Amino acid sequence: MKFGIFFELSVPRPFSTTLERQVYENALEQARLADELGFHWVWAVEHHFLEEYSHCSAPELVLTAVAMQTKRIRIGHGAVVCVPEMNHPIRVAERAATLDLLSGGRLELGTARSSTWTELGGFQVNPDDTKKTWDEFVRALPVLWKREPVRWEGRCFSMPERNILPKCVQDPHPPLWVTVTSPGTELDAAERGIGCLGVSAASYHEQERRTREYHRRIQSCNPVSSVVNDQVATLNFLYCHEDRKTAAELGMRFVGTFSVANSHLLWTREAFPTRAYQSLANLAPSASSMATNPSEGVALPEGLCIGDPKHCIDTIQRWESMGVTGVNFLLNGMEVLPQSAVLDSMRLFAKEVLPLFTKREAPARASVGVAQ
Amino acid sequence: MITGTARIEELQARRPRMAAFDAAPVSLPGVEILQAMFEMPGSARECIVPAGLHPTNPAALVLQAWRCPESPWGAFSLVQARAQTRSGVRARGFVTGAACDNAAAASALASGFGYPALAAEIRWQRSYDSVRLEVGRSGEMILAFEGADPDPLAASDVQFSGTLNLADTPRGWRLVQVDPEFVPSRAERLHPKLSAFAPAAWGDPRLDPYYPVSASITLAHVTLPALRFVCRPEELAFTGTERV
Repeated sequence: MKFGIFFELSVPRPFSTTLERQVYENALEQARLADELGFHWVWAVEHHFLEEYSHCSAPELVLTAVAMQTKRIRIGHGAVVCVPEMNHPIRVAERAATLDLLSGGRLELGTARSSTWTELGGFQVNPDDTKKTWDEFVRALPVLWKREPVRWEGRCFSMPERNILPKCVQDPHPPLWVTVTSPGTELDAAERGIGCLGVSAASYHEQERRTREYHRRIQSCNPVSSVVNDQVATLNFLYCHEDRKTAAELGMRFVGTFSVANSHLLWTREAFPTRAYQSLANLAPSASSMATNPSEGVALPEGLCIGDPKHCIDTIQRWESMGVTGVNFLLNGMEVLPQSAVLDSMRLFAKEVLPLFTKREAPARASVGVAQ
Repeated sequence: MITGTARIEELQARRPRMAAFDAAPVSLPGVEILQAMFEMPGSARECIVPAGLHPTNPAALVLQAWRCPESPWGAFSLVQARAQTRSGVRARGFVTGAACDNAAAASALASGFGYPALAAEIRWQRSYDSVRLEVGRSGEMILAFEGADPDPLAASDVQFSGTLNLADTPRGWRLVQVDPEFVPSRAERLHPKLSAFAPAAWGDPRLDPYYPVSASITLAHVTLPALRFVCRPEELAFTGTERV
């Protein structure tokens, strides 16, 4: 089992440059501490225009700063939005290779297609096309990284023969992942031989079903590369405190605040009817037909690491028992928790929980198996 | 968290009076539902909804038109303009204005469910490759919409939100939550084009649906169920919700 920290970089109103900078500084401090404490990954999302929820629009820059301030922790670029209106695939390949180089071969590359109309509409992306462009990106990236020179003729982009530089440090390339929000994306991951980077909350039962199916299907995958990344990481919230009551009180405040912000996003399915987005994603608002009481908050997912160390151990064992190989933690939301509380929570987790589950790998080695 | 800034006094004009919350459920078979979403500028985001609601980012206006061949009041059409919002964590449309072409239906929808339905002439025109909707009032064209090039979808691909209708109720001014149940049987996506829109006629001169997002037409059985919740308009739903 591996553990990571996961940055959305949420910023509460009223906005100020001072506060935004503080959120970024806090994240960098958390990354440095995670590196010292033995966490395996630090991930940063790519989101655009999502006021308050995520001000992390240039994760490659955030992660470059992280890479320069850390020594061992793996750098999770999670995830690059794989639609050409937002990121040209050549630029993704170039930036990822550069980050792999600068980090000494510590990069992991997540891929995604964006779930909100706020983002897709802002870049004038047709939601019908994102699954197709994502598919082409994940097939193109290993080729763009390895072949020299390379040419490409595809549906979403083409290029005449060029040599894409620099080259990745990791051989053959950084491990590839896809963010899994919509049910069924885990199957897309399995069929392509790439890792499942969970970014939505699923129940134990649902996660177990998805994980079992993923592990089954990946045995017969048609990998996009010469290596297979068969890891399943889920997203969780972490607030670990010796006193369970304090943990619940503070931790659930942070979870609740973040969840409300999540529910306020304008999801693609709500704005644009399409077969390409079958779920509202994450903790998104319920459809009206559910006719729910508006005074009720979001139904919180099972298996949160909000509690004392024993609770966290028990919870992670449950996730581990169903085949999950990694857990990434949101540490704060809207700066509800003071930075000192976040750092204390990380330290306690690292002291009491993390050693029971982890074996650190050599930092520059990709955590992948070789495709048959 | 962004919240509305409109004061209730600013929103009270042309809102219905409800004497009770006891409207019986209404079954509406075979309803054609034309729905279109437009983005609005940020300047029309917080100022058009009350403090109890959270506007979406970006601000969005949803036009939803029902063409009902059967109802307790006979055939009627209802067109609603709604600011897309969140009430607590739920997606809801705050109805800024509505139009109805059947006086009995308009009266019942206003007094029973809080729709601010004013009389209007509503004309639908369905051709092979488009759907046109025109709404006129007092000789003025207050809405002209065309959805072109129908593209079939699965019936479940279209998402509908319930509404919050501001009304003068026995408990004072309340947002009346109406959660229609939609059972769709056919859906098509359309390319939206709005050629006329009179914002004041739809409740607020600041409504500015400048950027088309999507449109659809759906055939569905719609049920207006009994009311269950109302919200105090200037208080967040987490604490301002009342069961009726």
